[in-house]
Amino acid sequence: MTALLEAPVLGSDTLEGELHSLLMTTDDTAAPTEAPKKGAATKALFEEQALQYMDQLYAAAMRMTRNPADAADLVQETFVKAYQAFGQFQQGTNLKAWLYRIQTNTFINNYRKNQRNPYQGTIDELEDWQLGGAESVTQHTSTRSAEAEAIDHLPDSAVKDALQAVPEDFRMAVYFADVEGFSYQEIADIMKTPVGTVMSRLHRGRRMLRELLAEYAADRGIAVPTPGAKK
Amino acid sequence: MTDCGCDKAKAELEEFLHRELSDQDAADVAEHMANCADCSHEHLVGLTLTEKVRKACQEQAPSELRERVLSALND
Repeated sequence: MTALLEAPVLGSDTLEGELHSLLMTTDDTAAPTEAPKKGAATKALFEEQALQYMDQLYAAAMRMTRNPADAADLVQETFVKAYQAFGQFQQGTNLKAWLYRIQTNTFINNYRKNQRNPYQGTIDELEDWQLGGAESVTQHTSTRSAEAEAIDHLPDSAVKDALQAVPEDFRMAVYFADVEGFSYQEIADIMKTPVGTVMSRLHRGRRMLRELLAEYAADRGIAVPTPGAKK
Repeated sequence: MTDCGCDKAKAELEEFLHRELSDQDAADVAEHMANCADCSHEHLVGLTLTEKVRKACQEQAPSELRERVLSALND
């Protein structure tokens, strides 16, 4: 596989350093969108191994950008960047997680800065009451089985709407754990955050989601008493 | 064997759900849930939530996206 060694040299001493510098770039809005010439074998390998994850990356991109046009652009940029860096991908490690790292980084650098998010950068430090609607869920047994049933009967659109209402970092932690089944360590690598933060984001994200779905069910008359005292 | 109790089980349910507990801790939580309707129902809510999110988030990329990507790689 000598073709794999044809990766562009980015001026770092190590492969890890190259990847790091590529992924960590914070001002790459002007990043090249064209892949450099590579060997046909590398391209074939990339197409065979990476393109199979297009649906998953697109689904995640929809959760990140919230609209189909931006999601498609993000996935395209992710694949182009991944192709450029493919020489640094270690065969045998988790390619999907590696692609998600690139996509997450690309999203943060190129898209998130364009979105209005009053909590940016401080979301993990906010108290639950500041986030709103995330009071502790204290219910009795009978209510919980009704809650599971009510959630089970909700339409997919309600679940997606609720997810979109959860702050981005929490939403994506839930997505990576519950949709993709990544381990906490893999999510920590993708989101570049400690495992403890992943656990906190997951916990808070799932709790908010649960609250939102309970509210939705109650609004639609799907019988489940909402937790806590609602107006 | 001693029941680990609701406090430990509730605190670890989410890690249990995501298979992040050690074998011993997972066994403790499972053993507790077998005898505790409250905690097993709570676990059911968690499982249902995960399954709903997983199903709701299945998407197919637009068919033209594959062509766009292939063409971008060729440039």
